[in-house]
Amino acid sequence: MLQVRDLHKSFGDIHALDGCSFEVAPGGMLGFLGPNGAGKTTAMRTIFRLLRPDSGSVTWNGDPIDPDDLLRFGYMPEQRGLYPKMRAGDQLTYLGRLHGMSKRDARESAEKWLNRFGLGGRVGDPVESLSHGNQQRVQLAAALVHDPELLVLDEPFSGLDPIAVETMSDVLREQAAAGKAVVFSSHQLDLVEDLCEEVAIINAGHVVVRGNVERLKDSAPIRHLELETEGDPSELLEFLDGVQSTHMDGERLTAIISADTDVRGFIAHAQRAGKVRHFAYTTPSLSDLFLEAVR
Amino acid sequence: MTGLAALGQVALREISERVRSKAYLITTGLTVLIVLGLIVAPTIFGSDTTESTVGTVGEGNEVIISTAVDLGNANDEPDQPPSVAIETVQFEDREQAETALENGEVDAVLVDGNEVIVESVGGFNGNSLVSGLQQAAGTVQIQEIVEEEGQQATDIIEILTSDPLETTTLTAGDPEEGDSRTLIAYFGLLLLYLAVLLYGTWILTGVTEEKSNRVVEVLLSSVRPWQILGGKILGIGSLALFQLLGTIAIALVALRVTGAFDLPPIEIGAVLNLLLWFVVGFLIFAVLFGAAGSLVSRTEEANTIAMPMSMAAVVGFFVSISALNDPDGVVATIFTFVPITAPFVVPVRTALQSIPAWQYILALVICVASIGVLTVLAGRIYAGGLLRYGGRVGVREAWQSAAE
Repeated sequence: MLQVRDLHKSFGDIHALDGCSFEVAPGGMLGFLGPNGAGKTTAMRTIFRLLRPDSGSVTWNGDPIDPDDLLRFGYMPEQRGLYPKMRAGDQLTYLGRLHGMSKRDARESAEKWLNRFGLGGRVGDPVESLSHGNQQRVQLAAALVHDPELLVLDEPFSGLDPIAVETMSDVLREQAAAGKAVVFSSHQLDLVEDLCEEVAIINAGHVVVRGNVERLKDSAPIRHLELETEGDPSELLEFLDGVQSTHMDGERLTAIISADTDVRGFIAHAQRAGKVRHFAYTTPSLSDLFLEAVR
Repeated sequence: MTGLAALGQVALREISERVRSKAYLITTGLTVLIVLGLIVAPTIFGSDTTESTVGTVGEGNEVIISTAVDLGNANDEPDQPPSVAIETVQFEDREQAETALENGEVDAVLVDGNEVIVESVGGFNGNSLVSGLQQAAGTVQIQEIVEEEGQQATDIIEILTSDPLETTTLTAGDPEEGDSRTLIAYFGLLLLYLAVLLYGTWILTGVTEEKSNRVVEVLLSSVRPWQILGGKILGIGSLALFQLLGTIAIALVALRVTGAFDLPPIEIGAVLNLLLWFVVGFLIFAVLFGAAGSLVSRTEEANTIAMPMSMAAVVGFFVSISALNDPDGVVATIFTFVPITAPFVVPVRTALQSIPAWQYILALVICVASIGVLTVLAGRIYAGGLLRYGGRVGVREAWQSAAE
């Protein structure tokens, strides 16, 4: 169990972390969300003791993280970094060995992961000769090669094509299913919604929302409403209370409204005005929650 | 995994990747080629023989010329080309010979074994030729006098070309061993200077490269900064030592085979002493270079930041050159106790046998302690500098931002 409690960290006048708390249990997958510059990378670096927090704590199974724990963690930094001229297989073997694996185990694991990512034929190629997407796959393999108990991935999906996104998603699901604790940051919220049961949303260094995605949605003070009619649906808005934001997506009206708004009267109005082609009233999407949280 | 095992892994990676790199193979190959070239080329293309042409008029000249050749070559090694060779051209009369001298066909003219004509006084080769002929003529005269007493001409030549007085020096040990120690110290000085600049730069750029291609963040997520820095220094240091020792070995073999220079016998103690100070000196500079490398983000900036260390090596080199001339002087004594100059100065003073034992030991203690202190200081600067990007990081800033 990784527990991050009330981290504070300043760089000069900038408060990069200002009360950052979250946790992830073995078998759990946490989506760590936040706008650019919110403090996600700083928080992740703090876990790996790359930065020392001004206050707060990071613990693994209840104890402060020590160098031996780090050998059982896997990290994919936001700024990807590999030795450009080193062969992919050698590179992963080396990183495996730095995490305490025997030469043979490290080599086997390196080849296993490269095969898994469809790079089995590129084991002996220098990393710089691989495409950007393939380098990213090697980078993920670098985080996985030593079979870590905790995976911390900073923007693992950025820059990947849909096939690679699919592979990456599968791997993360498998890792969680195998009892690993997984934390990753992403701006692709529908992907996060798809993968994670738990999320933490950080804004200006402070974790503003965290918990189970479904429960967050249910308990959110807002609802998501969609309406498409034969006439102009925006003319019906005057019959709707508690509207927080609206936008038109083609002929479809999308609105965020208060959770306590009674929409039955509104539906009745809509039906009198013309034929209703599409109507949806749902809990907010993760994207809605995110925008609500960071505004 | 223990700390040293990770350090060893880092060192092994440095070695295996660099040995495979074209840059290392090319520099090694070039170094060997240059060393071999310097040793072998003179024996193939060059000859140390001074060749002159002497015109002769009349009788009694041949004996002087042959004696001059014998005198000039008296100290030659048996399997070497002769130092002096004189070609003779016989002329009918003095006038013809003078014309040939004016035209530069001959370098000097001997007349009847009692006169030498040269074009003018001066000129390097002309003067040594004349003095050689003068000496030869004198020898011939002595020879004639002595032969009446029953002595042999060869004995005379031996007497004239040998040092009649035995040489004695005040310091202990025989002079040849002293030469050997000085040579080794001087050679070692040069090697340390070159190694500091060349391999120190490798460490510097190696650190900066890891920072600029961001791999350092992956490394630091599992390995401590001191393990990376230590492994890098150990790996590159081993390569440096290997390359240098290999070059020296090839040079020694080439010297033995070609006989291009006379090597005094090499003393094991002096070599070990040199090796010790080489390692000490290299470590001190390597730690400094490594810390400096962590302060810049791009390899282009690395040269600028190397400046203070390069200057320190230059100072060490020149101080030790001056120590060669005045090994007991105040300058040499002071710099014996400065960690970055001691590795240059102490081997020289040891070679010249002018360093008291207590100074030697104190200098060594200071240097080893400095390596320890510098490693801690540099390790912190390194740790603080590594994850700070955007231009050059100040030493103070790196120090303060170090995580531990």
